[in-house]
Amino acid sequence: MAPTPREEAFADSLIGRRVPKLDAPDKASGRTRYLHDINVPGQLHAKILRSTEVHARIVSIDVEAARRVPGVHAVITAADVPWQRPIGITKDHMPLKADVVRSRRDEIAAVAADTVEAAEEALRLIRVAYEPLPILTNSAQALGPGAPLLHGEDLRVPGRNGALEVVHKACSDNVSMAYEYGHGDVTQGERESAVVVEDVFWLHYVTHCCMGVSGVIAEFDASGNLLLYSNTQVPFLHKREFAELLGIDPGRIRIIQPPIGGGFGSKLDIYPFEPIAIFLAKMTRRPVKLLFTREEEFIASPTRQPVLLKLRSGCDREGRLTFRAVDTIHDNGAYTSWGATTPFVMMQTISSLYRVPHCHYRTRAVYTNNPYAGSFRGYGNLQATFAVEAHMDKLADALGMDALEFRLLNAQDPGESTPQGMHFRSCGFKECLGTAAERSDYEAKRRGNLEHWNDGNPIKRGIGMASMLHVGGGAKMYPSDGCGTIIKLDDFAKVTLITGASEIGQGSETVLALLVCEELGLPIDSVTVVNNDTAITPWDVGVHASRTTFIGGNSAIGAARKAKRKILETAAPKAGRTPDDLDLRGGHIVLKATGERIQEIGRFLRSLHFSEKAELVMTTYYYEPPSVHLDRNYKGDVSAAYAWATQVAEVEVDTDTGIVRLLKITAAHDVGRVLNRLGIEGQIEGGIVMGQGYALSEDLLVEDGMIRNPNFRDYKLVTAPEIPEMDVSFIETMDGEGPQGAKGVGEAPAICIAAAVANAIYNATGTRIYALPFTPEKVYRALRGANMPPKWPEDAA
Amino acid sequence: MAELRNYAAPRSLAEALQVLASGPATVLAGGTDLMPQSRSARVRFAPTLLNIQGVAELRGVRRRDGAVEIGALTTIATLRDDPAVRNGAPVLWQACDHFASDQIRNAATIGGNICNASPAGDTLVPLLVLDASVVLASGGAAGIHERRLPLSEFLTGPGRTARRPEELLVEVRIPVPASGWVDRYVKFGTRPALDISTIALALGGTLFDGRLENARLALGAVAPTAIRAHDAERVLAEGPLDRARIDRVVDAADAAIHPISDVRASDWYRRELVHNLLRRILTDVCPN
Ligand SMILES: Cc1cc2nc3c(=O)[nH]c(=O)nc-3n(C[C@H](O)[C@H](O)[C@H](O)COP(=O)(O)OP(=O)(O)OC[C@H]3O[C@@H](n4cnc5c(N)ncnc54)[C@H](O)[C@@H]3O)c2cc1C
Repeated sequence: MAPTPREEAFADSLIGRRVPKLDAPDKASGRTRYLHDINVPGQLHAKILRSTEVHARIVSIDVEAARRVPGVHAVITAADVPWQRPIGITKDHMPLKADVVRSRRDEIAAVAADTVEAAEEALRLIRVAYEPLPILTNSAQALGPGAPLLHGEDLRVPGRNGALEVVHKACSDNVSMAYEYGHGDVTQGERESAVVVEDVFWLHYVTHCCMGVSGVIAEFDASGNLLLYSNTQVPFLHKREFAELLGIDPGRIRIIQPPIGGGFGSKLDIYPFEPIAIFLAKMTRRPVKLLFTREEEFIASPTRQPVLLKLRSGCDREGRLTFRAVDTIHDNGAYTSWGATTPFVMMQTISSLYRVPHCHYRTRAVYTNNPYAGSFRGYGNLQATFAVEAHMDKLADALGMDALEFRLLNAQDPGESTPQGMHFRSCGFKECLGTAAERSDYEAKRRGNLEHWNDGNPIKRGIGMASMLHVGGGAKMYPSDGCGTIIKLDDFAKVTLITGASEIGQGSETVLALLVCEELGLPIDSVTVVNNDTAITPWDVGVHASRTTFIGGNSAIGAARKAKRKILETAAPKAGRTPDDLDLRGGHIVLKATGERIQEIGRFLRSLHFSEKAELVMTTYYYEPPSVHLDRNYKGDVSAAYAWATQVAEVEVDTDTGIVRLLKITAAHDVGRVLNRLGIEGQIEGGIVMGQGYALSEDLLVEDGMIRNPNFRDYKLVTAPEIPEMDVSFIETMDGEGPQGAKGVGEAPAICIAAAVANAIYNATGTRIYALPFTPEKVYRALRGANMPPKWPEDAA
Repeated sequence: MAELRNYAAPRSLAEALQVLASGPATVLAGGTDLMPQSRSARVRFAPTLLNIQGVAELRGVRRRDGAVEIGALTTIATLRDDPAVRNGAPVLWQACDHFASDQIRNAATIGGNICNASPAGDTLVPLLVLDASVVLASGGAAGIHERRLPLSEFLTGPGRTARRPEELLVEVRIPVPASGWVDRYVKFGTRPALDISTIALALGGTLFDGRLENARLALGAVAPTAIRAHDAERVLAEGPLDRARIDRVVDAADAAIHPISDVRASDWYRRELVHNLLRRILTDVCPN
C-alpha cells in the first residue's frame, strides 16, 4: 500500500535515525585542526620544569644559565609572579610553587622560547636544590597520628590592595573536604536485617588518556584583553576564573575551543599549565603555546578519584534492602580538584540505587603526596556502584534468592521519590534489568556456571550483572544549570545554530542540529553549528554531568520552536490559515493535517526579508531545567531526569594465569528516547570499552608518589582485539522533560562494567575480588589466596 | 643526541663493515628499540650513526643446506608471511604472529631483536629452541671475515651480546628440524596485541613413543637473557612424559630461572606462570 501523504510527510523525521557525526569526515580524513595544529604568528613555545621530589622544601632555584640560552624569551619562577593566585576548587594550589613541592608533578619554573628545543635546553640548565620532607604515600597514613600536614599553614597571597590575605586556611588534619549524608536510622535498619554484609573495597588510579595531550595558547592583544585557545569543557566558568586569577574583568577574556582530542571530564578544572602559559604571554607580550608531552600527560593530568570504601548493607528475610552504611577515604592527592567532590554523585548511588530505607554515608578527601584526582566520566559512580552491586549479589546469595529477582524486588518504579529527594518521573530501571537478563540468558547461565567450579578445567566462565543510576537531566551544582541558544535562518533556509554547549567529541553538535531540523523540517546538512567561542556563543555551564543533549537540546528546541512559530505566524494569514493549521516538513511550509505543501521555506524567508516589512528570522532561547540545588543535608531533586542501565558481563577466567577475557556485554539503557541512533551507539560502545579498561587493564601505578608507568607500553588501554561482543538495547521511557523524550547518557555506559565483571569473576571462580583492576597477576593472586584484600585503617574510625 | 656527528647509509655490506671498522658507530636497523631508548636516554649514540637499511643483501629468507637462513634486516612482518618459516619453523612463526602490532612488525627486524638482547625479546625463545646460530661479519673493502656463534653464546646479558664493536650481525641460521619434530610456543602478556612478554616459553623435540626426544626448552623474561633450560631438557629425554615427569620438568625449569619483579609482574608470578604454562604445553604435546 502506498504511503498516505500524511505518512510521507512524517517519514522524514530524523529522530532515531542513524545520522553520521557532522565532524566525522574531517576527523576521518585528518583535516581537523586541533589545538596542536594551530600556530599563531609570533608565538613562543613554553615548557614547564617539574619537581624531581615528591615532597620537599625548595631551598633555591637558579635560572641564570637557562636565561642565557639563545632563543629563550622568559624563564619564570614563583618569584617572578608574586601576584599569582591559587587555582583549584578550594584554592589550595599555586600554579608555580615557591617554598614547597608536594608532588612529582609540581611546577617550579617555566620557559618561553622560540622553539621547543630551546625551551627544553633551558629547562635542563635550571638548578633546583631541595630539602626532602617526609612523604604521605596513602590516605591511611595521612590520617594517622603524627602525620605531617601537607597544607598545615594558611596560604596567603597579596590581595587587590597589596596586603596579604588568606586564600586557603591551614588544614590541621589533612582532610581537604568531608561529607556526611543520612536518611532514616541505620541502627534500626540493621536490627530489621536478616542478613548483613560488610566489605572494604579499593578503587584504583586511572587516568583519561586523551589522544590529544593537554595544551593551551595564550595571547594578549594590545589593549590587554586575553584570548585563550583552550580545550576546556567549561568555557564560561573558566572565563570568570581566569579573570579572577588575573584581576581583570571577565569581559576581557575570550576563550576559543578548537576541536578537542578527548575530554571525559579531564578539562573541568584549571590546571597550573594554563595560568603559567598566561604568565609567560603577559611577560613576553607574545602568544605562548604550551603542549604536554605524553609522559607529562600521564604525570600531570588529573586521575580518576581513588577510593577506599567500606560498605555495610543488609536486607530482610523477604529480600528487601534494610540499610546501607558507607565510609570512604578519598586520596585527594596533594591539591584539591573535582575528585574531592565525587561524593555528590557517590551518595546518590548509595542512597538511591534501589530502595534503601536507611542510609548513612561519610567521606573524607585526604591530602597525600600522590597525583591529584579530578573529574572523570562517571564521577565517583563507578566506585560507588562497584561496592553496591557486589553487595547486591552477596545479599541475594546469602538469602539463597535469585540475584535478578532480588534486584527487581528492590528496584524503583516510575513516580517514586527517594529519601534523598530524587523524583523519578520517568524510570526504566525494571525494564533495564529484565531486558539485560533476558537477552543474556543471565539466570540460567549464572546457575550453570556454578557447576564448573570444581570440574578440573582451568578455564572458567562467569556471568555478572550490575546496574547504575545517574543524573540524566543535568545536575544543578551551580546557580544556573542552563544553556543558551541563538538561531539564525538565512535567505536560503540555512540555519546557523549558535549554542553554548561545547562539542567534546560526544556528538553534541550533530544531535543539536538534528533536534533543530526536526522542529524546522529541514535536512541535517542545512545546519552550521557554532559552539566554540565565548565571544559569540551564549552562556552554558559546561560539558559535564551527561547534560549536553538534555540541556543544550532543550535550549536548541526552544530557539527552534520560536523560529518556527514566527514563520508559521507570518505565513498563516497569507495562506488564509491559522498558524496551528500549518507545520514545517521536508523543507516546506505544509498543512499539518494532510502534509500538503504550501511554500518552500527558503522562498518564504526571502519573501519575508525582501518585503515591505522586511524581517529576518533570528531567535534566542535560554533553557533552565526545573531541578533544584541540594540543601545543606545534600537532599533535593538535583536533576530534571534520571537514567538507569543494567549491564551483564560474560567473562572467561584462565585460572592458570589469572587472565580475564571479557567475552560479551549485554546492556540495556534507559535513554529516554534515541535521538541519533548512530551517536548513541557510539557513546555506549565507547563507554563500555572505557569501563572495560577500568575493570581489567588500566592501572596508573603510583608508588611513593611516583608514577611508574607513564607510557602506553605499561599503562594498558584496551586494544581492538580485546573489545567484547556487545548487545545494546535502548529502553525508551520518553521522559516528559527531556528533548523529544531523551535523557543524558554520556557517562552511563562506563559506570557498571567493573561491578558486573567482579560479579562475573565470582560466578566463574567462587572468588570475590575487592580491589580493582582485575589484571592477571592480581586475579591470580586472589585465586590462590595470595593477595592482600583492602583493609580499613584502624585509626580512621 | 648532541654527540652524534656522522651519518652513514651504505648500500653494501662491505661499505657498512668499513664504517664499523673505522670507529665507534651505532647501528640503526628498524629503529623500534633504538629510537625509544635514545629518547628516554637509556642509550647514547656513538659519534657515527650507521643506518643499514640500504644494505639489500641483509634482507630475506633462504632455505639452503638443510637450514633456513634469515638475513638480519628481515622484518618480523616478512618472517610472519614467509612459507619457509611457517612450515619449517612454526614456533618462530608463532612468535612473529604475537609480536607487537602491524606497524611495529613492518619496521622491526630480527637482527635488531637479537642484538637488542632483551630478556623478553620475542624471537629469541623460539630461536633457542630451534638451536639457531648467528653469523657476524667484520672487515671491509679488503675482505669480509665471518664467524658463527650459537645464539645461546651470543646472548650474554640484558642488552649485552658477544658482538664486537666492528661486527655486524648479518644472518640467523636455523637447522631445519628432523621429521617428527613438534613444538609449542606461548607468550604470556596481559593483552593479545602490543604487549611485552611477561614470560615466554617454547618447547620443541621429536615425539616418539610418548616421549619427547632431543627436547629443547627455552624461556624468556625470566633470567638476564632468554635461556635454554638444559636440566629440564635432560629430564624430558629420560623417559615418557607422564605426570611425574612433567612435575620433574617443571621443577628443573623452576631451578633454571631467576625472574625479577618489575612494573609488569612480580618474580613470584613469573615463576607461577612458568610452572602452569609449561605444564600446559607439556600436557598438550603429549596428551597422555
Ligand atoms: C610499540 C613497540 C612494541 C614492541 N613490541 C615488541 C614485542 O612484542 N616483542 C619484542 O620482542 N619486541 C618488541 N618491541 C621491541 C622491538 O620492536 C624489537 O626488539 C625489534 O625487533 C627491534 O628491531 P629493530 O630493527 O627496530 O632494531 P633497532 O632499534 O634498529 O636496533 C636495536 C638494537 O640492535 C642493534 N642492531 C640492529 N641491527 C643490528 C645488526 N644487524 N647488527 C648489529 N647490531 C644491530 C642496534 O644498534 C640497537 O642497539 C617493541 C617495540 C615497540 C616500540
